[in-house]
Amino acid sequence: MTEPTHAPLHTVARGRARWHRVIVRPVLQRRARVAPAAQAIAFVIGIVLALIAGAMLLWGSGNDPVAVYERMAESSLGGFDALSRTLLRATPLAIAGLAVAVAGSMGLWNIGAEGQMMAGATVAAGFAMVAGDLPGPVLIVLMLVAGAVGGVVLVVGPALARAYLGVSEIITTLMLVEVAIRIVEWLKVGPWKDPESFGFAQISPLPDQASLPGLFGQVHIGVLFAAALLLAFWLAVSRTAWGYELRMAGSSPATARYAGISLQRKVLTALLLSGGLAGLAGAIELTGTATRLEPGLSSGYGFAGIIVAALALMRPSGVAVVAFVFGAVLRGGQSIQTLGVTSSIATILQAMILIGALVAAVLLNYRVRWVRPVGSGTDADATENPASAGASGV
Amino acid sequence: MSDPGDAAVSPGSGDGRVVVDLRGIRKEFPGVVACDDANLTVRAGTIHALLGENGAGKTSLVNVLGGVYLPDDGEIWVHGRQRQFHSPADAIAAGIGMVHQEFRLVPTLTVFENVVLGSAPRYLDMGQIIERVAHLAATYSLQTDPSRPVWQLSVGERQRVEILKALWRDADVLVLDEPTAVLTPAEAADLGLTLRSMADRGRSVIYISHKLDEVLSVCDEATVLRNGVTVAQPRSLAGIDRSDLAEMMVGEAAAEIQRPTDQPSGDVVLALEGVSALSDRGLPALHSVDIDVRAGEIVGVAGVSGNGQRELAEAIAGLRPTTAGTMQLEEADITGASPRARSRAGLAYVPEDRLGVGLAPTMSVVDNAVVRSYRSMRRRMMLDLRRCEDFCRRLVERFGVQVGRVHEPVSALSGGNLQRLLLGRELTGEPKVLVAAQPTRGLDVAGIAAIQSQIVAQRAAGVGVLLISEDLDELLALSDRLIVMYEGEVAARMDPTQVTRAEVGAAMAGTAQA
Repeated sequence: MTEPTHAPLHTVARGRARWHRVIVRPVLQRRARVAPAAQAIAFVIGIVLALIAGAMLLWGSGNDPVAVYERMAESSLGGFDALSRTLLRATPLAIAGLAVAVAGSMGLWNIGAEGQMMAGATVAAGFAMVAGDLPGPVLIVLMLVAGAVGGVVLVVGPALARAYLGVSEIITTLMLVEVAIRIVEWLKVGPWKDPESFGFAQISPLPDQASLPGLFGQVHIGVLFAAALLLAFWLAVSRTAWGYELRMAGSSPATARYAGISLQRKVLTALLLSGGLAGLAGAIELTGTATRLEPGLSSGYGFAGIIVAALALMRPSGVAVVAFVFGAVLRGGQSIQTLGVTSSIATILQAMILIGALVAAVLLNYRVRWVRPVGSGTDADATENPASAGASGV
Repeated sequence: MSDPGDAAVSPGSGDGRVVVDLRGIRKEFPGVVACDDANLTVRAGTIHALLGENGAGKTSLVNVLGGVYLPDDGEIWVHGRQRQFHSPADAIAAGIGMVHQEFRLVPTLTVFENVVLGSAPRYLDMGQIIERVAHLAATYSLQTDPSRPVWQLSVGERQRVEILKALWRDADVLVLDEPTAVLTPAEAADLGLTLRSMADRGRSVIYISHKLDEVLSVCDEATVLRNGVTVAQPRSLAGIDRSDLAEMMVGEAAAEIQRPTDQPSGDVVLALEGVSALSDRGLPALHSVDIDVRAGEIVGVAGVSGNGQRELAEAIAGLRPTTAGTMQLEEADITGASPRARSRAGLAYVPEDRLGVGLAPTMSVVDNAVVRSYRSMRRRMMLDLRRCEDFCRRLVERFGVQVGRVHEPVSALSGGNLQRLLLGRELTGEPKVLVAAQPTRGLDVAGIAAIQSQIVAQRAAGVGVLLISEDLDELLALSDRLIVMYEGEVAARMDPTQVTRAEVGAAMAGTAQA
């Protein structure tokens, strides 16, 4: 006997452990490698399952799921105008998603893309106030540059702190989101208040020539910028020595150090580039869709960029696809409100679709193994006669 | 008590009843076979030493027993019943208690809260639980105050809390992974008494260590692992001394290694003078080391791992800053130079961690092949991918690396092929000096032979080689000169043709004078 000092606690645990001697049970095992095609399939399956679950939600809330889904598809993908509305939303999502993915490919999380978008839009709007009489194309190009600068300015502190002091960029970038939004609110009621708006607090409108030319339907040429940026980043990462070093530093820091790559410099460039891209997204949103700077301008695109980047597994090609799907979901979710679907239900539906895709992407990294434990059966017959262990990959 | 298995455990039983029996355990990690046919038989009422050098598979083996790893092959028998542990909880339920090297305690909670965390009886009040924990502690002379928060405790006290945790969960087998590494000598002595009192009460202890004196004074039986294989299982440690154990750990003269033909060595190509460096924990790990390596010779570095060999290799490679001393590569002073500058000056380095330091696991074979040379593969801003691929294919062919596709992640390669790729990459720059740390560890026979013949070929080509290894046979066969490291210093300099294994073993154990 061991000491009777306390109750035999293990009896509870052993009792609990008994059930899996009998039942074949699944064990999750991490896959070494996931094929890109499987990723795409899992993404689609996740969305389909979410749509099925969403149908129950719609049905339960008194809507006709078929009609709702029809409207969603129609309004986001059916025809040029619908497509243009989807692309309009996909544009900031793609650039913000790329911004997060640039940092993400180094293992960094720029959670504050939302704030950097606002900072970019703010600096761009400020520039337009100072240089409002430049000709349109010149003004727009300079505003976009100003936007990138604004994003960089907001991220430079977190980037330096991360590279040289090891301060978590997750926290610092996130906190600066509030700072950026509050600054715009202060500008709205303070120095940049439109004198012609009488008592109503709003920032002076942008000069007329400071709006991005349209492409077709609702969409502006910002979508081309987004495509070009994605292409450029893909080229830079896969075809340049700079991208090689970035990938090396991101995937195996010790190897990078061994190869003589400065990790600090790579962290710094990745975060600054990330902030610059987010700032650019803000400036494009400002010049493409808004008439004036407002605290709600970025409307969550920066945060959504995190989801886009995560779903895209930090790859530029994935960002393009995910941003488009996300844009369609946003557009569809908005349009079904005209069918009487309340906005909260529509939002839940959107969230379900994204969660479905995200869960599928994560689960894809695992393989289910069905494990039949040794000694299955009762304790008595397990003592000296172990049954063969059975494990099969699925 | 409730389990029929416990009934046979009687106080003071050294009755030889087998409590834990691991049979033919195999556990493979990407690129490394940690355990390969490892056996461990532990009897009730004994303290059982699990001996072996770093990387011999001790920790992997007990992690299999503790439910941390699922073995790839082999059987786990506990109390005469075959088990499969899917989680540490399964192992705990079977009576296996683990005390890891890093403690797993919540600093803000008190001692008794930590002890009962996750398995507190439901119908007892605080006072009763404290009383029980205190009683349990007193039974095994584990002096602690149950009500003190853990953050106030010394390292030795925290270890006692970990042991209490295992006892509270009614562990009849306690596994301690290098328990005295963090203790003062007095605390270590107390620990020995506690373990003995546990054994006297019929429990078993598995004691992982490579401190031989300690093992001899504390343990009853031993299992010795080498390269993941159980090589010796002495039933009694009586009559066994330190050098016997050291020899079991480093191995008998096994496979014949062809000794390279004698050749005159050239000028000094690598000169270390008074080099000192700190360990990762900021403690002195290298003290004033002087080493010369001449062109066309192999200087072997022997030592029980953890005696400064890793720090030595990293200091030479430029991955670890030195706190004193100078380093010269041929004519150039490389003290304080960057890893890249050293590589350019003619230093090739095969690190101990081939996957993770030497090679980036998730990147492709091509990407890994060009780590040293991608800067010369640029065409304007772009990387010339075709040249990278050509370079990689030549490398793969020349060094006989078996790869599926060169764009596959390198982690898909076997250990031997990883090492061929790594060594080949380091050697393509026609280096002056090669520093190779544990280049053959964990490889199969063919892999070992291939790597060794490459190293010998480099010697013939006039490269100065510093070979750091735990394989004594390899060192004795290949080296022109042998250096033994002990506690961060050069403890002995020997002529490998004139020295016996026992003499090297004694120097490794710190008993010989330099």
